[in-house]
Amino acid sequence: MLASYPDIRVTSPSFVVNSPSEAVDPATDTLSDHELMLAVRDGELDALGELFERHHGPLFGFLVKLTGQRTAAEDIVQTVFQRMLKYRHTYRDEGSFTAWMYHLGRRCAADYFRRHQATPAATDPADLQDHPDEAPHAGENAAVRDDHALLHTALNRLDRDDREVLLLSRFQELSFAEIAGILECSVGAAKVRAHRALRELRDVYFQLQKQKLS
Amino acid sequence: MNCTETQERLPDELSGRLDPAETAEVRAHLAACPVCRHEHSALGQTLSALDTLPIASPSPALRRNCYAMLEAEKRSLAPTRAAAARPSRPAHFSILRWILAPAGVAALVCGGFFAGTRFAPPAPAPGLDPATKQELAELRARVDSVGQLVGMSLLQQRSTSERLQNVLATLDQRNPGQKVIADLIGSLALDPSTNVRLSALDALYPHSNQPIVRSGVLATLPREQNPLVQVAMIDFLVAARSHEAVPALEQLARNDTIDHAVREAAKRGLAQL
Ligand SMILES: [Zn+2]
Repeated sequence: MLASYPDIRVTSPSFVVNSPSEAVDPATDTLSDHELMLAVRDGELDALGELFERHHGPLFGFLVKLTGQRTAAEDIVQTVFQRMLKYRHTYRDEGSFTAWMYHLGRRCAADYFRRHQATPAATDPADLQDHPDEAPHAGENAAVRDDHALLHTALNRLDRDDREVLLLSRFQELSFAEIAGILECSVGAAKVRAHRALRELRDVYFQLQKQKLS
Repeated sequence: MNCTETQERLPDELSGRLDPAETAEVRAHLAACPVCRHEHSALGQTLSALDTLPIASPSPALRRNCYAMLEAEKRSLAPTRAAAARPSRPAHFSILRWILAPAGVAALVCGGFFAGTRFAPPAPAPGLDPATKQELAELRARVDSVGQLVGMSLLQQRSTSERLQNVLATLDQRNPGQKVIADLIGSLALDPSTNVRLSALDALYPHSNQPIVRSGVLATLPREQNPLVQVAMIDFLVAARSHEAVPALEQLARNDTIDHAVREAAKRGLAQL
């Protein structure tokens, strides 16, 4: 379903979202995400560096959880920024940068899943912790690690659409208006989908916990 | 509020997305209804489990690749730009941006001044004292020379002893200008030689009262791989009473994969800050 999207064009009116996180803070002279992206569109390509610094971390976190794979997530982040450059002329005056970014992110993820035959490989939790930056987790006890593994398995058992909406609503500090923009559905529908996904995750997670105990 | 209405609102209640009136109604219902309480606790457990998943961070290659891509795109635009007679920009602008980016303070300072030079009216930053403002103004004017420094030390491959001489020469200057300070930070961040990096740090000691110096050292610390230099940087930040360094030191103190001496230095530093 995702894979059949047409070419990337930021023409959906659902992107007309005024995110409070993108409002210009009069107390700082730093530019909002939206202003930076408009500058990129107008040829100040260096502004994309600032946008990268602000957003690549959360985007990467989202994609690691969505794909279950670190390298895939890195590739997708890079593709997203590549496409921002390539399609910068399509960024709209009244756009929301984060909504656009996640829109591109899920589009690129869909391409990735299509190329890799739809299902993400089961996550090896070790793969998600092998980075020096996460060394504080290396010493965590086995029970906590097991619980993380269980949750990763549970996440991977959700439909990709469910996993996606759940991650967007929980981790990315997005409003449901923005999520609706990203998913191209109504705010009500986005909410319903996020809640359904959470209940689904709870069911799978508790079921796996029970199985482990018995 | 009945059970269905309450349960519909539980995810929002747990994520703090309900308004106070609805929150109160939901809580009142929960207090009286064991069934919804059970549901609330199960969803709450799932969400907190989700929140405790380790936060993955990307490898340094991602940043490198993205900036390389950006540079390539800029180069491809270069002919058009020349025709439009735009003022030329330093080629290594993004690289320096990249050096200083990850530390919060440095990111703010540099993000502000780079963004400011390029496409914002030079609005004064409220909340900064006049001295810092002045410093930022000078730094704005120095972007070009900083770009040159990076070019010299990284691309022209002069010999280590020459670069060392350059760093040491700054020690003789009583009041080196911002260009010299920026050059020293650049050397500390980028020079391939441990000796040059250590000397740059030594040369920065007399200027550790300048916020930009402390930010620069702090920004460079997470990238430094050599334990000798890491320990020297930690000592520097502690001597400069740089309280902004606390989170970075805490991270080093907890990190089992780094050199023992570095961890110990971080712990010592935390005790002193
Ligand atoms: Zn009830």
